Amino acid sequence: MPPQRALPQAASSGPRLSQTRPSWYPRPVARAPADATFAGRVLEHVHALHGFAFRLSRNAAEAEDLVQDAFTRALAAADQFRPGSNLRSWLFRILRNLYIDDRRRARRAPLSADGEAPEAPADAAAELLRGDIELDCLRRLIAEQIESALFALSDEARTVILLDLEGFSEPEVAEVMGCAPGTVKSRLARARAALRVQLAEYAR
Amino acid sequence: MSALDCSTARRDLLDAVRGRLAPDEQRRLEEHLAGCAECSALDQRERALDAALGRLPEHRAPAGLEGRLLASLSTSALSPVPASGALAAPTATERAQPPRRRTRAWAAAAATLAVSVAALVVALRAGSSSDMLVAEAVNDHLRVLYAQQPIEIESGGIHQVKPWFAGRLDFAPRLAFEGDADFSLAGGSVGYFIDRKAAVFVFKHRLHVITLFEFRADGLPWGDAGELKLGKLEARHSQLRGFQVISFRDGDLGYALVSDVDASALEQLAGRVASGL
Repeated sequence: MPPQRALPQAASSGPRLSQTRPSWYPRPVARAPADATFAGRVLEHVHALHGFAFRLSRNAAEAEDLVQDAFTRALAAADQFRPGSNLRSWLFRILRNLYIDDRRRARRAPLSADGEAPEAPADAAAELLRGDIELDCLRRLIAEQIESALFALSDEARTVILLDLEGFSEPEVAEVMGCAPGTVKSRLARARAALRVQLAEYAR
Repeated sequence: MSALDCSTARRDLLDAVRGRLAPDEQRRLEEHLAGCAECSALDQRERALDAALGRLPEHRAPAGLEGRLLASLSTSALSPVPASGALAAPTATERAQPPRRRTRAWAAAAATLAVSVAALVVALRAGSSSDMLVAEAVNDHLRVLYAQQPIEIESGGIHQVKPWFAGRLDFAPRLAFEGDADFSLAGGSVGYFIDRKAAVFVFKHRLHVITLFEFRADGLPWGDAGELKLGKLEARHSQLRGFQVISFRDGDLGYALVSDVDASALEQLAGRVASGL
């Protein structure tokens, strides 16, 4: 590849726009993609969003409302979506924020701090024994029991488990939840520990 | 190379399952697990928990939801649109609104889409009479897509949908194709086709909606026999503004299929519909 001719400008320190354009070149303005195409792209995620909404709200009617609101909000804010970035995590974030807003407004079950579950026993032998029993239980649990256990968790714990399950990366989970990426791993570990405790209850 | 300690190994367990570890990290973890019963047991528990979570029931969006989302787009365009600024991000005013009443703020965004739909409908209205049937079919398909209640009866199968039409139409629908893996029957409703009542069946093909109209065929400009063979029937395949339309008649009833799916997919469905008549 031929070497690029140096442009008469200082090396740009900010985000690189284009290697061939000088810094004064007008930045491309993101056009509001509020059209049928964008709506169609959003609709591709309707089932994933609905599943997330249902497991957040634990209520079919509320789940539908959340999806409808998220759809609405996404199209209204389409100009804020950066083309090329992750639409799915952007939509999940919108839906989760709507859910939290609704919760706050309704002053229902206040958002609890994550990891309300008791700590696992510290004794290593007990832990191991418990682990064996638990492993057996985990394998026998049916879908409804798993869901009930999930529903018994705090919003925060449930959210991080669901997002991880959706295949989101740690930075994506952080984006959806609005938390620091470095905290995702420990949040997830705490949430999964809490879920195991719940599952042990159901498997008894 | 230093061996992995238990706390690092445990921190990395889930990342390993998710495939997020670098190859050398992965190898070091595997070496540690091979020699550490405790961490190995924890690893199995993580995997068992994943397997359990994998058994969670699916909660797909109900059949009508997608239609309602689309419908909400056009509804907003028919209602007065706020003068300005509605494209902006969620505002304080908007947040102050009660939940589930956020329809206003995005009306402007939806207006762009709905206006183009309206323009399309108007353009179709002005079409020449020879293509009236095709234009009508596309118009009605758009109405299905953007109607307030696109589906009056959600499908529990053709045996549930067909009896529902009894007494609502002045003919008995003959459609027997009950949908399959490729084309699922989402539901039906009663509509109008030009000047007559029609049975409207809504099929889903992946993310696409296909509308099938069944109506009395008499007195309509059917034109020449079509070039598309559907068993013993001859059909016309037309395109209008990006929509595929296949129309044919079978005795006293006429059929029109409309969608934005590709031509071959629509022909497949037309074939299945025709072969069941």
